[in-house]
Amino acid sequence: MDEEEPPVLTAVSSSARQLFMLLRCIAFASKAHVTISEEGVKLSVDEASVMEASVFLDKSLFTTYTFRAPPPQPNPEHSDSDDDEPEPNTAPNFQISLTALLETLQIFGLTDPSSTRPPWARDNPYPTSTAFSNNVLGMNNLCRISYDSPGAPLSIVLTEASIRTSCDLTTYEPDYADEIPFDRHSLAFKTIMRGSWLYDAISELSSTSPEKLTMYAKTVRGKPFFALSSSGTLGSARVEFNNEPRPSAFRTLAPANPSIGDDAPEPQTNLLETFQLSDPQDILRSTYKFSLVQKAARAMSVSTKVSVRADTQGVLSLQFMVEVESAGSGAPGGKISFVDFRFVPLVEDEEDDVGGGDVDETLMQNGNASDHEDSDTSML
Amino acid sequence: MRFKASIHNVATFTKLTASLNSLGPLAWVKLGEEQICFTIIPEQGTQVWAVLSVDSIFETISVQSAAHNVINLEVPLASLTRALKSALNATSATIRLTKKDGVPVLALTIVTTTSSNAYSAFPANNDNRPDASSADDSSGGSRETIVTQEIPVKVLSPDTVAGLHEPRCREPDVHIMLPPLMQLKSISDRFTKLALADAKTGSGSVASKPRLEVAANMHGCLRMSIQSDAMSISSVWTDLINPDLDPNEVDGGEAGIADHPSTRMKLLGTADGRSKEGWATVRIDGRDWGKVMSVGRLGGRVVACFCHEHALILYVYLPSEHSDDESVLTYYVSSYSA
Repeated sequence: MDEEEPPVLTAVSSSARQLFMLLRCIAFASKAHVTISEEGVKLSVDEASVMEASVFLDKSLFTTYTFRAPPPQPNPEHSDSDDDEPEPNTAPNFQISLTALLETLQIFGLTDPSSTRPPWARDNPYPTSTAFSNNVLGMNNLCRISYDSPGAPLSIVLTEASIRTSCDLTTYEPDYADEIPFDRHSLAFKTIMRGSWLYDAISELSSTSPEKLTMYAKTVRGKPFFALSSSGTLGSARVEFNNEPRPSAFRTLAPANPSIGDDAPEPQTNLLETFQLSDPQDILRSTYKFSLVQKAARAMSVSTKVSVRADTQGVLSLQFMVEVESAGSGAPGGKISFVDFRFVPLVEDEEDDVGGGDVDETLMQNGNASDHEDSDTSML
Repeated sequence: MRFKASIHNVATFTKLTASLNSLGPLAWVKLGEEQICFTIIPEQGTQVWAVLSVDSIFETISVQSAAHNVINLEVPLASLTRALKSALNATSATIRLTKKDGVPVLALTIVTTTSSNAYSAFPANNDNRPDASSADDSSGGSRETIVTQEIPVKVLSPDTVAGLHEPRCREPDVHIMLPPLMQLKSISDRFTKLALADAKTGSGSVASKPRLEVAANMHGCLRMSIQSDAMSISSVWTDLINPDLDPNEVDGGEAGIADHPSTRMKLLGTADGRSKEGWATVRIDGRDWGKVMSVGRLGGRVVACFCHEHALILYVYLPSEHSDDESVLTYYVSSYSA
């Protein structure tokens, strides 16, 4: 009956690799929720409702992107009430197997004969390239995604040389509707730094296989201070990000630039590009499950920048800016995409608070005075 | 019973035994003056009947036996492959059948000449060394190393092998030249991995062995697909070649070709592979198929014959310098029912 309906989504990408690079960032669950809208496709995964991650594939990533909102579900009683105006919640939403999608996108390049043999050594019985071959015309590695109608499979067609691979991913009913609430209007803390620095910090801390990750942020004498501390059965460790570059031999992360001194922080030389605390007098402290934060490691490693935010409820949002390589002869420079992670904080009990207070104290002292070992040497 | 041969193409022989070894541990090797047959009949899975011309592997051969100068052996392929691998850099390699402590063995004698370059690292030259042997001097600093590898085998009597016959199959519906096997293998391996990963995460009711569906039509299309609960994926190759049948090889000559199932299949289907008609399909085990594909390292032409819902027969023609001698490996893959 819906034969005449145009498909809900038709999108063509000239680089399946781009999509793969982005989707790999959230590949920690086997199923992903897909939401299709006018602006692009959003894929999100969640873990036990305490963590969720999403990638937004903007329509600019595709060479063609056609979206037609499906007609509202036929409802005999209210059939002619909302005819002209599509409801805002008609964006198709379903689940697919993310592992299957990733494997499919990787089929590319497997069959590229040029990678295995030089052109003169290739077997002749097979058709060789002509002026109209796909790879000469720049038509190889085409990836076409389409979704016909609600309930239909999400189909991906990859075209490469004389091989056409098509994959129909079964679409499942979505099993959750609510996102982890993150109130971006009442932020407790926000900072922006390089993704690789956060990655270094997390991989450094992971060596003791900790259970908890605690985030501290405060302002010390007008200078931002940010620390990540891990604790587990084997002990605890802490990585500090200090926006006080000093001409010290022990400071390796910040470039030694004596002209900065105690002036206002400059974006180039600072670890933390932006630093905002809702209450500069207060120390922000919240704890998350380390193993969950670690799942964002791949996103950290490929991102250029990360925005770390926490709202007043303690929900942590990590927003990664990922530059994907542009597809061949497209616009110069890479396109920018965003990968989002959200984490629900761990509830701290009384005992932890007592212990935590101590940690805060040491931190306070470190920042305040000159008894921090690094600062110490520099003060000499 | 005597068998002695010198191997002139160690690399090909090694690749052959290695790819055969992935299908079964033991091979029935039939040695003759004209051709050598390797046959592997595993408990389940793909059978291989390989017929090689003597020239493709051996330089000189002498086979003598009471039974029309044919020797039948049961050879452990893993040991043979290992022995051949050590002969890859040999200057000459010979193989002969002998007996050691009453056990028949295939003795592979490998002669390696280490060139004098290998000694250039030594600062002193031979003339200044009083203890330099004269033998070394005469051979210009090169040395010969002789290694003999012995592979225990079993001699099969003609009666034992008399009951073994190549599978017979009806005339194929579709015959097609396959794309390079390594390309096929990389895709089919990924399909199998996908289906396995899905079976693991999904419900336990899914069959443990992934069934790969391979189909072809008479218009140059090959399709490989796999289905699971979460997905169905298929790859289609187009512009392949359907070789013409030789009237001399088909029963009934020209009339036989007109009646041949493939002629009827030619009327169905299209060259873009989008039509639903005209496909001859077989269902095979994904892992088994991956093993069969390992013959791709030999790099020959492969013609696949599809008997719809019944069997898939692969003819792998080994490349050789002399175009007149044909070495063919025949793989019989039977289809699982749906």
